[in-house]
Amino acid sequence: MTSKRRPVTYTTDGVVVRTSNLGEADRIITLITPVHGIVRGVAKAARKPGSKVGGHLDLLKHVSVSVRETRTLHGLSQASTLNGFRGLRDDLDRFSRASYISEMSERFSVENGANQPLFRLLLDTLESLEVTTNPEMIIHFFEMRLLQLSGFSPELSRCVETGVDLEPANHLYSADRGGLVNSDARPVGESALLPASLNTIKLLRFLSRTDIAQAGVMKAGEDENRQLSRILRAQIHHVLDRGLRSEAFMDEVRTRPSHNDEPKASSGSSSGN
Amino acid sequence: MAPSEIAPSAAPPVARLIEAFHRLPGIGPKSAQRLTYHLIRMPQEEAEEFSAAILGIKEKVVLCNTCANIAESEECAICGDLQRDGTRICVVEEPLDVVAVERARVYSGKYHVLHGVISPVNGIGPNDLKLRELLERLRDGSVTEVIVATNPNLEGEATAMYIQQLIGPLGVKVTRLARGLPSGSDIEYADDSTLAHALESRAEIPQRQSDSPE
Ligand SMILES: [Zn+2]
Repeated sequence: MTSKRRPVTYTTDGVVVRTSNLGEADRIITLITPVHGIVRGVAKAARKPGSKVGGHLDLLKHVSVSVRETRTLHGLSQASTLNGFRGLRDDLDRFSRASYISEMSERFSVENGANQPLFRLLLDTLESLEVTTNPEMIIHFFEMRLLQLSGFSPELSRCVETGVDLEPANHLYSADRGGLVNSDARPVGESALLPASLNTIKLLRFLSRTDIAQAGVMKAGEDENRQLSRILRAQIHHVLDRGLRSEAFMDEVRTRPSHNDEPKASSGSSSGN
Repeated sequence: MAPSEIAPSAAPPVARLIEAFHRLPGIGPKSAQRLTYHLIRMPQEEAEEFSAAILGIKEKVVLCNTCANIAESEECAICGDLQRDGTRICVVEEPLDVVAVERARVYSGKYHVLHGVISPVNGIGPNDLKLRELLERLRDGSVTEVIVATNPNLEGEATAMYIQQLIGPLGVKVTRLARGLPSGSDIEYADDSTLAHALESRAEIPQRQSDSPE
């Protein structure tokens, strides 16, 4: 006989994607887990120096944690670090990109929704970002795979407007319609068409069927990288209905020509909100 | 409305105060109730003094023009203290961290309060912190060391790295509190001797890397 009131407790691994302070010394932790989807819980007294969990439940760490389910915020305890991703913690560029990856993973996850492929993708991408010399392409690979896993695979072989097979040439991309548009078939009244050069299209197709290791060694020119960024981000914004907050910082770190220029004069919030 | 959830049986004015206490950091429903019933028994003049004190901090407290710490006027007591060492600035996240570092009694320089840390997933970037004000203070060359005392967690470390890259090239030494503060804990709660030791054995942040404690 089990009492219905007895709380369920389980141990899971997960990646910490969000933290915020609660009360005097507690911390609310959001994790992405393979089986339980997004898990939000309270780590009691995590900000106190004596805490056994505070050092583990930090952003961008792969941890094991014990979860005690309650009706509202779960209780988190007995945390230990499985992978601290050190390489993402001592480099601003890698940190900013990993933040983008983790925010996107969170936005594409749901509570109590098992998503092992997404979790695996998140872990693989963080591992690659730690060491890669080609972070741009790792990010593009992640964006493409996340769209595919979520059922928003971009249409890359036929024109989404006319249905005809696309000739190997420069074309356009429509995030609204979720794919390439034949350069001749510019739909009336559609302003948000993005340029997609032949090389960019080849890279999009490559990304749609490669693995992360192959993506990590594929180099693209500056123009292609810029087009890939615009196309994949536009598609993600379209799916999510808004931008990601971490984009601003990632772009700022990446475009800083040297590290001795000052922050730009603040003009409102930098958040995509 | 919410009061019914926390104090379902209390009279509306009582429930309203319980609810107000409950919104404060660190106050659970039980404490909120206890504080409210304590105030009910409080003499009239004491209660008036209490509410005037609350209104007073909203009307009279401002941020120091120089260091952004909480102050009574345009200049805080620390910035106005000529005895303090003006060649060093200790950068902290929040005003409460100034209190913590002061408590350790080993630091006699000035402060700078960022009012936050870089937090990409929350959309908080460098421009949302008091960083331009910090740069402004370094312009005349009198400051030789900036000690970054942000919390020992990822966002605190990233902010320290950013500050190093921002002001290191100006020829100002940028140091970070030594390891020893448990990672994940807040400086606000560090005990005085640990914080004193971390301050005394602070180390320069290397150019591309930060010493993120594990
Ligand atoms: Zn001041």
